[in-house]
Amino acid sequence: MKALEVYKLLPKTNCKECGFPTCLAFAMKLAAGGAGPERCPYLDEETKALLGGATRPPVRAATVGVGARSFTVGEEIVMFRHEKTFYHRPGIMVCADDTSPLEEVRRNAEEVRDLVVHRVGQDLTLDGIALRCESGDPDRFAAASMVVGECGDLPRLLITADPGAHAAALKVCGQFLPLIHAATAENHEEMAGLAKRYGCPLVVRAETPEELADLAARCTAAGVRAILLDPAPRTVGDFVARASHLREHAVKRASPDLGYPLYLDTTTLGTDAALAAGILRYAGVIAVPPLPRPSLLAALTLRQNIYTDPQKPIQVTPGIYPVNNPGRDAPVLLSVNFSLTYFTLLGYLEAGKIPCYLFVVDTAGLSVLTAVAGGKLDEDLVKKSIESTGLAGTVDHRTLIIPGYAAPLSGRIEDATGWNVRVGPRDAAEIAEFLEKGE
Amino acid sequence: MTERITEVAVGATRTEGGTRTRSYRVGGASALPGMGDAGARPLIALEICDDPALWPVVVLEEVGDLAGDLSGWAKAAEERWGADLVRLVLTSTRRRGFDDPASSGKAVGEVLAATGLPLIVEGSIDPALDTGVFRRCGEAGEGERLLLGTAEAERYRSVAAAALAYGHAVLAQTPIDINLAKQLNILLRETGVPHDRIVIDPYTGALGYGFEYSYSVMERVRTAALAGDADLAMPVISAAQDSLTVREVREAPEGERVETAVQWEFYAAFSAAVAGAGIVCVRHPGTVGMLREAIADLWGGEGWR
Ligand code: B12
Ligand code: SF4
Repeated sequence: MKALEVYKLLPKTNCKECGFPTCLAFAMKLAAGGAGPERCPYLDEETKALLGGATRPPVRAATVGVGARSFTVGEEIVMFRHEKTFYHRPGIMVCADDTSPLEEVRRNAEEVRDLVVHRVGQDLTLDGIALRCESGDPDRFAAASMVVGECGDLPRLLITADPGAHAAALKVCGQFLPLIHAATAENHEEMAGLAKRYGCPLVVRAETPEELADLAARCTAAGVRAILLDPAPRTVGDFVARASHLREHAVKRASPDLGYPLYLDTTTLGTDAALAAGILRYAGVIAVPPLPRPSLLAALTLRQNIYTDPQKPIQVTPGIYPVNNPGRDAPVLLSVNFSLTYFTLLGYLEAGKIPCYLFVVDTAGLSVLTAVAGGKLDEDLVKKSIESTGLAGTVDHRTLIIPGYAAPLSGRIEDATGWNVRVGPRDAAEIAEFLEKGE
Repeated sequence: MTERITEVAVGATRTEGGTRTRSYRVGGASALPGMGDAGARPLIALEICDDPALWPVVVLEEVGDLAGDLSGWAKAAEERWGADLVRLVLTSTRRRGFDDPASSGKAVGEVLAATGLPLIVEGSIDPALDTGVFRRCGEAGEGERLLLGTAEAERYRSVAAAALAYGHAVLAQTPIDINLAKQLNILLRETGVPHDRIVIDPYTGALGYGFEYSYSVMERVRTAALAGDADLAMPVISAAQDSLTVREVREAPEGERVETAVQWEFYAAFSAAVAGAGIVCVRHPGTVGMLREAIADLWGGEGWR
């Protein structure tokens, strides 16, 4: 709903009781999905329901866990990332069985907690532990969930169809808001009761959209605050088809009871394919078996790729970056502010142990070759950047080393800036050798 | 989404005027995978080359002696690794001073003789060599319905001419841009290449190295076509060619290098299939089987429609 349409439904008295200076300001906030209609005390129930349905995000949010490692999924508004962007990357939670020795559960949890992949200035991490009740023993399940809790505030996912086992585990870790899997046609009353009592997010699981919607409606009516949908896929194709169906209904606001983030367990589906499919097509929480490092690396990179804003590549701040403690006679290397370029370059320079300055200009996050091809990197930009960063005051010499791919610009940069230009190699791997020879 | 992706014939069996043991019609989808009728499952092409000096080390280590033996490599692609297509990259033409276009034709002939699979041929990338190389390749594959590449905005006439003269389809590559892709298809049509003989190559960056753009461009090309844009309604091919030279693969610990290479290719190629590509290309033999299983699974879904 547009802000003006929302405005028409408000009392227009500008009484400020909602906390906004005018009814119009409140309408704008509502339309953007940033506030709920209940803030205005003068709306009747019907208007509130109408506004609530039309202004909440098509996929509602759900937060799993507490503290620094907690994560939120949902609040997505489009089918394809090129239409806008995907906001909340799916949480990847690694499975452990409660029948494993507790020491092993602990070790797994610690590994998950400590895994970090550094890529282009971001730290890619896993999101939590999925504890599966294989023992059938509530006490064992509770003990294992305790052990996970001792490894720091890693979000937990508790998997069993037995409400009794959940009750035992939640008694020891409910305050950490684990995700509960799953409410089904058989057990939803008890599951919803537990989720409500502890304020935990709850997965509902069923084979058809009608049953999912029905379960979601019943659980929310029972007071559960955050819901995820598990469409119970038997193959990767099932998941992709069902997830796409659900996202489409959510985005079109066709059925409010399907507007929830999705849950995917890859364990029985062929993990890498399912994991990739879940990242690409709409999963909010993905449970995976412990993954070998190559799979992890590829999956986390895919997730990073898909969840970057398509309008805005990952960038670094333009400016002068000293590398390896450079002096005033150290070489100056011109480059661009695309994160991938910066960190690739930095890696080689640090490994080569050569003191220098990285002089990063603002190409709006385009790589060297792309910026040159698209006319975004030119002599004017270099000139302005030299002036605005005060490069001349940082070093005593007046020589710029430019990337090999920017070679066609060398003459023009010299003319425009008065600095000498040396053309470096194209491949960052060759820079160290180039610099050593150049001295 | 109501329109269909144009079907492009690749490969020709005896009854179709060639010698392939199978042939394919790529395309035919009227929706993205999981969103309706996605047509036949995507095909998997294994890439091989005639000059291994320019090939990823991690593949050379895997294929061993086959690297110098084009026939053996092509045969293994079919019999050992189970690829649907062979993609022959004529890396020899990338060498400085290359002046033997006849050798390109010979390489094509050799691969055609060694395998019954339909063939994608990736010729020269130097305008000065194009005419000679493409003509020889086209000629060597006459009647076989090759997929001949690559046409680019600045250099498409030689490929187009060879394809028209010898009855092949053309790969049309543009750098990650839907409008450029469309323009090139129009240029090719004006040259006489019909739409059912073009496959769009939107240039796939490697996972972590431009893949985010490539993935979205594939989705955009597909959704635009399905919404009715006939100039984009050709099948898409995805070849994330830099996948095996990325830092993550090069710097993987010895014992994990192969697995990293395979996963890196797999995640990108499988994602391309989800984005609607009709042909996905890989270089590591180990990726083929994994991809085949995953794609079969992806196509084995029951939706709710
Ligand atoms: C992803 C990509 C895009 C993305 C942008 C990604 C980005 N953030 O830049 C998008 C889709 C937006 C794009 C657009 C275009 N692209 Co583009 N794109 C690519 C692609 C696939 C990868 C680029 C990349 O990320 N490289 C990785 C980074 C790390 O490389 P880099 O910045 O050059 O840095 C390396 C070196 O330069 C060196 N280096 C860096 N700094 C320095 C400094 C010094 C001193 C030294 C010595 C070395 C050095 O080290 C780095 C590591 O080796 C390339 C193909 C390719 N594989 O290169 C095409 C490519 C660069 N694009 C190309 C083109 C033509 C374009 C467009 C003009 C076409 C269009 N679509 O309209 C537009 C222009 C953009 C615009 N609108 O202004 C062409 C360029 C052709 C040419 N030779 O001039 C390429 C080569 C594709 C092709 N083969 O046709 N592109
Ligand atoms: S509380 Fe209601 S009536 Fe008062 S200013 Fe806000 S929107 Fe308007």
